[in-house]
Amino acid sequence: MEKIVLPDIPNFDKIDTYLANGGFSAYRKALTQYPDDIIDQVKKSGLRGRGGAAFSAGLKWSFMPKTTDKPKYLCVNGDESEPGSFKDRQIFEYNPFQLIEGILITCYAIGAKTCYIYIRGEYHKWVKFMEKAVETAYEKGFVGEKMKEVFGGGFFCDIHVHKGAGAYICGEESSLMNSIEGKRPYPRVKPPFPAQNGLWGNPTTINNVETITNVPAIINKGWEWYASIGEPKHPGTILFGVSGHVNKPGVYELPSGTLLTDIIYSYAGGVPGNKKIKCVIPGGSSMPPLRGDQLEGVKMDAESLRMAGSAIGTGGIMVMDEDTDLVKVLARITKFYYHESCGQCTPCREGTGWMLKLLNRILRGEGSTKDVELLVSVANNIEGNTVCALGEAAAWPVKFMVTRFRDEFEARVKESAAREVVNKVHSMRRTVNPISPINI
Amino acid sequence: MSSFILDGKQIEFKQGQTIIQAAADHGIDIPHFCWHPSLSISGNCRVCLVEVERMPKLVIACSTLAAEGMVVHTNSEKTLAARNAVMEFILINHPLDCPICDEAGECKLQDYAYQHSVGESRFTEEKMHKDKRVELGPHVMFDGERCISCSRCIRFCDEIAGEPQLTFVQRGDRVTIVTYPGKELDNPYSLNVTDICPVGALTNRDFRFKARVWDMSSTKSVCSGCARGCNTDIWVRSNEILRLTPRHNEEVNSYWMCDEGRLNTFKHVNSESRVSGPQIKRDGKLNKSNWDEAYAAAFGELKSYTKDEIAFIGSAASTCEDNYILAKFAKTVIGAKHIDFPRHIKAGDQDNILIREDKTPNALGAELAGIRPAADGLTFHAIMKAVDEGRIKALYVVEEDLVGLNPAYKETLRKLELLIVHASNYNETTELANIIFPAATYAEKNGTWVNFQGRIQRIRPAVTTIEGDRSLDNLAMSRLDKFGTEFDRWGNVKKMDARPVWKIISGLANTQSGKFRYSTSEDVFNELVKSVPDFSGLDYDVIGEKGAALKKFVNTKTV
Ligand SMILES: Cc1cc2nc3c(=O)[nH]c(=O)nc-3n(C[C@H](O)[C@H](O)[C@H](O)COP(=O)(O)O)c2cc1C
Ligand code: SF4
Ligand code: SF4
Ligand code: SF4
Repeated sequence: MEKIVLPDIPNFDKIDTYLANGGFSAYRKALTQYPDDIIDQVKKSGLRGRGGAAFSAGLKWSFMPKTTDKPKYLCVNGDESEPGSFKDRQIFEYNPFQLIEGILITCYAIGAKTCYIYIRGEYHKWVKFMEKAVETAYEKGFVGEKMKEVFGGGFFCDIHVHKGAGAYICGEESSLMNSIEGKRPYPRVKPPFPAQNGLWGNPTTINNVETITNVPAIINKGWEWYASIGEPKHPGTILFGVSGHVNKPGVYELPSGTLLTDIIYSYAGGVPGNKKIKCVIPGGSSMPPLRGDQLEGVKMDAESLRMAGSAIGTGGIMVMDEDTDLVKVLARITKFYYHESCGQCTPCREGTGWMLKLLNRILRGEGSTKDVELLVSVANNIEGNTVCALGEAAAWPVKFMVTRFRDEFEARVKESAAREVVNKVHSMRRTVNPISPINI
Repeated sequence: MSSFILDGKQIEFKQGQTIIQAAADHGIDIPHFCWHPSLSISGNCRVCLVEVERMPKLVIACSTLAAEGMVVHTNSEKTLAARNAVMEFILINHPLDCPICDEAGECKLQDYAYQHSVGESRFTEEKMHKDKRVELGPHVMFDGERCISCSRCIRFCDEIAGEPQLTFVQRGDRVTIVTYPGKELDNPYSLNVTDICPVGALTNRDFRFKARVWDMSSTKSVCSGCARGCNTDIWVRSNEILRLTPRHNEEVNSYWMCDEGRLNTFKHVNSESRVSGPQIKRDGKLNKSNWDEAYAAAFGELKSYTKDEIAFIGSAASTCEDNYILAKFAKTVIGAKHIDFPRHIKAGDQDNILIREDKTPNALGAELAGIRPAADGLTFHAIMKAVDEGRIKALYVVEEDLVGLNPAYKETLRKLELLIVHASNYNETTELANIIFPAATYAEKNGTWVNFQGRIQRIRPAVTTIEGDRSLDNLAMSRLDKFGTEFDRWGNVKKMDARPVWKIISGLANTQSGKFRYSTSEDVFNELVKSVPDFSGLDYDVIGEKGAALKKFVNTKTV
């Protein structure tokens, strides 16, 4: 089976090997076509974003204004901070030049002269890999002004590797842009979207590392070829990062639509001790978990997973066997989102802490049946009411874990709470009228 | 004009307006904390989430552009659910220390909690704890627990004051406000953050713990600190001014005022150094006298000099009415030609926000009302020179501390035979005076000032004097005025025996001629309007709460 993003070629991360295997031929081919044609091919290829939302890459590029005096930018999102997600770093390590070539083609297609590769701060090692690769590319004249001589044509672009400082929120695209600008990485209110108002107010496209790394193959082998791989509505190969209770955890590049059970049992070697699976989170920790008895026939692509009641996310598959304490798992996941909530908007800032306190109390054996309901209600109150999707990322695991494994949670609580209710009243709305009119 | 439907009502809007702006223009308040009409949109509080038909999710009214035919619901089931959820979230970690919070009574959070929340919280955990007393700067105190992270204060510093001094630090519910390393919140406009902070997180260190807001009255006034004339409210309890706050006037000061004006233009009103009752010097000692005696004495003394030996000094701190009557008296009763007023220009102390170099509120008005020398009269500096040279023997000074202005004048004024002064407070000039008339301050009288833009604005009595009748003179009444009794500690308030300049000079003139018949400053103003064309077309109602441009300045845009 063909691998597009992580081919099984030794030393592919070396520029000579990359060149010997047709490196930069896709960019040369792209140069012979109009930028709009490139966008069109990527659109038709069906390539969808690998950063979580599975949005059509070509469509996103087409939002970039064609006639503008402003500089345009491409940001490659390598923040990869979602628990259970560890695939982009494989690209940094094993296929950096294909990412660079993808960047060149994308920049050419959308008319960007500058690209930032944003890599999470904790990926120190991979930042080094990527910096080295970009340096080599500059030396060879594959990036920067010298591109004009090396490849011909009038186009060139620059690439900067930008290291984050250690916040999950910086993976959210508008937060990422604020971070690059040197600002506090609070996500921006949308609209306006990045294509209108991105980096420093200029048109910007943001794509995931894996998304961009797919581009050279599409140009080289044609969109028809790409569209025919895997599930038609979400074609191509996907990097699945499998972790948890499996014998062979790791990153597997497989066609979209591969059966979840095949991935777990054949590629990842099954569950240690042949235990039963209690729960699988199929797309990184923020996606709705599936019950062990819901896995049969579930295919790994955006549409199929939606039908199954979850989402593809970043393709990070987390497997939990029958002995797993899901209350503890949920508390740990919630702690992560509590820690990473940027604190800008009310529901997520306050709600993540509340959910964590409730879960910790249930863990301590001090919860009541009411608290289980309350958890779901708090999650519902966050969902849809926030500035960015971290709100949902925090709410979904709680909401779906509790509703899909209610028995586990109810077994941990008592009929009524052991504790006194404090801070109960926060207003006397029905007994008193406002004292003064509301001022601006 | 395009329109959309808001809760069944047709709302017109201008292209590019957001839902909340368009609603506000029609007097409809969509609940909000972080949105402020003069600041950029932040969209963080989420209280303004509304349902728009055919949009998949609720949207925030503060950033969503109004569009033709849009149907918006601010009270639908979905909207209410979201608003209640957000209110509950805001309150879970809020300390609810309203009983000891300065903001209580004028707190957006408190008001919305009454209006828009379900009343009961389901939160039974320990609340977050944060620093409760952080001195952000010389004037502003921060309480981290009360902060709802709306970012208004940060945006104010960045966008209005033009000095980024505040920022958020930390994440999630640990987020709090700090100043940048090595910086203080000390820009000249810092106290405005205490007004726009929707809760009691930022408080005015000068006013903290002085009063409950509902125990004070507020009176619409104008700041006396410079020629901008920022519109203000004067807050009074027990006849004592406790604070000033800016009052919105887009033509003059928007929602803001400077710290200097806010803090340093009212304390003299409450001060121990007030002159109360007329004072006449005999044998080198000041003696309190009654008004009629003082009027007669002053008039008699003035009459013993020739008109060339007398000079009059008006004031750009006095009202147009005061200056008009002074000029009328000097010119028609005494026949004097030496009349002028000193300028208070603090060179360089000006910015392109509000602050003006001219530190008086009414220089333009004083001049227009007639405080300028006759063709052969002396200007202010020439008058002082003439005093020094003994050519002018009698000087009548209205609301100016000349020695305070220039210490050298101490020697100059000693050379006078007669010095009559109107002063609200004892100062180095009053020390040299033969007769002192106690002047009512701007906070104790009605009148008008003309700011540097040529905009005439009204001041009103906020504090009562012995003769002042509060209700007749538009004095706002606090709860204590209405319900306080003789036995309350605020029942027996201190009142000054002081009068506005126009009234004193009228009294003085009337000892002889009886022609200065005015019962209110409005009477004076109406005569001023008739006799000075620059003021034509105006009356107190036309000037109203937000002022009016004098005709010849109508087109000068100077905001
Ligand atoms: C809280 C949060 C964290 C995110 N982190 C990442 C990330 O680490 N990497 C990534 O590619 N996308 C991340 N995303 C998604 C991006 O906002 C954006 O949708 C994506 O980078 C677009 O690329 P794609 O269209 O190629 O998928 C995150 C989104 C949210 C809300
Ligand atoms: S949803 Fe959470 S992470 Fe996103 S802006 Fe709001 S507080 Fe920040
Ligand atoms: S900020 Fe408002 S709600 Fe909070 S304690 Fe003060 S008055 Fe009460
Ligand atoms: S201190 Fe006040 S104005 Fe500033 S963010 Fe907090 S609540 Fe908002």
